[in-house]
Amino acid sequence: MGRLEGKCALVVGAAGKGNMGQVIARRFAAEGAKVAVAGRKMDPLNELASDIGGVAIECEFTDRESIFAMVDQATDAMGRLDIAVNATGWGLLKPFLETTDEDFDRMVALQLRGPFQFLQALIPVMERNRGGSIIQISSATATIMFHDHSAYMATKAGTDHMIRTIANEFGAAGIRANSVSPGVTETPMTADASAVPGLMDAFKKGYPLGRYGTSEDIAAACVFLASDECFMTGENLQVNGGLTLRGNPSKADIEASVAAAMAGAS
Amino acid sequence: MGRLSGKVAVILGASDDRSMGYATARCFIGEGAKVVIAARREGAVKALAQKLGAEGIACDITQESDLESLAAHAVKTFGKLDIAVNYAGIETGSSILDVTAEELRKSSDVHFVGTTLFIKQMARAMTGGGSIITTSSLTVLVQAPGFASYAGAKGGADVVARIAANELGEKGIRVNSIAPGFTKSAMTEAYFASDVVRNAFLKEMPLGRFSTVEDVAETALWLASDEAFVTGQRIDVTAGQALRRVPLASEYV
Repeated sequence: MGRLEGKCALVVGAAGKGNMGQVIARRFAAEGAKVAVAGRKMDPLNELASDIGGVAIECEFTDRESIFAMVDQATDAMGRLDIAVNATGWGLLKPFLETTDEDFDRMVALQLRGPFQFLQALIPVMERNRGGSIIQISSATATIMFHDHSAYMATKAGTDHMIRTIANEFGAAGIRANSVSPGVTETPMTADASAVPGLMDAFKKGYPLGRYGTSEDIAAACVFLASDECFMTGENLQVNGGLTLRGNPSKADIEASVAAAMAGAS
Repeated sequence: MGRLSGKVAVILGASDDRSMGYATARCFIGEGAKVVIAARREGAVKALAQKLGAEGIACDITQESDLESLAAHAVKTFGKLDIAVNYAGIETGSSILDVTAEELRKSSDVHFVGTTLFIKQMARAMTGGGSIITTSSLTVLVQAPGFASYAGAKGGADVVARIAANELGEKGIRVNSIAPGFTKSAMTEAYFASDVVRNAFLKEMPLGRFSTVEDVAETALWLASDEAFVTGQRIDVTAGQALRRVPLASEYV
């Protein structure tokens, strides 16, 4: 008997092969949930949906109509919505002074306005169901520091607080809302960084548990938050092996680690 | 296949069948763990252990030698120790104008010194990694008048749990705390008898119901399992009350 048996879930941000949204969707399905997966590219979504017996939905998360249409389509296809996960994101790393208004507006549209509209679309559906669990994928960097990442971090922090307001205002309807903060995770989003010798090693010493996280760690936390055994709401769960107890490497630390790895390799 | 199959757990503060300790022991056993429960009164804990199909041993958290014996008992009986949960607590409270050194020391002995030495002794016995869980409180998160001695000591213990998590990570030991909201148990029963008190608290809970000992047990289960890549955190199970407030005594007295 799966821990999400009989539940219907929507995971947005699942259009990248092997990305966090896909890993979450696969784990939900393995726990017995019916799953709708959404994102910008239909090919990987269709492939995933056929693997897990789910539904694929195209969605542009910077567009209000597209977000509302996605929620409608998922609800129509499955009959209800008990669980919704937003795993979209744009990991922009750019020096603060070089970040343009266009960069910033795009970040806000995806990481702050998109979640706001997603919640506006979800809540009436979940109110009709008499409850649900909403999960926002945040980041450890919404709390701790990292360089050249201001627009990303600020919008993630804003969304964490938005989640608290939803928990406060819609708890009476049986809706729980929480966010999950991974640390650095090996995903397609960080593939370029992982390819640089020494780069990921610079992060390791920030993790008391001695390794950085995986999408599977995040999916496991999402199962807990989505299941009926969880009585948490309005919380930001740090699923990062204790990273927030230590911290990320500085830009200089990373450069030194890469330089050392390069020197060792040559 | 249970979620804690093959694990050995110690649960301190299982004093009666309405306690968080009892609910957690029942939940862990149902998930396949071997469990040692402990509490101050030997007769009560042995009877409870028999009812559960667990080991039972007397343990006073204010005595470090008792804590050492508790961990040793788990290792001797079941071969190892993987999970340790501490719910031992006492009710203390007075206004700042009336609080005494005696009350502060009493709370500190159990909630701060006791919790710290619990983490120490359990971690020493965990040779293959593990998960240590201590109990914080809603009163650490929102200011509750009259709770200086209680919340002050619990808050200190949360800081210790974070430091312990940082130190013990390399041994594969995770350390977290759970902050329950206002939960019905033997310790809080008197408050629940009054509708006025119940309603004053209930309106500050977004989820509209009190947390139960089972809610706390299920959170402990998740933290205890290999599914939680989480350490040094306080997990709040307060029905969302941490977002609001604790009512003033004048609202319900």
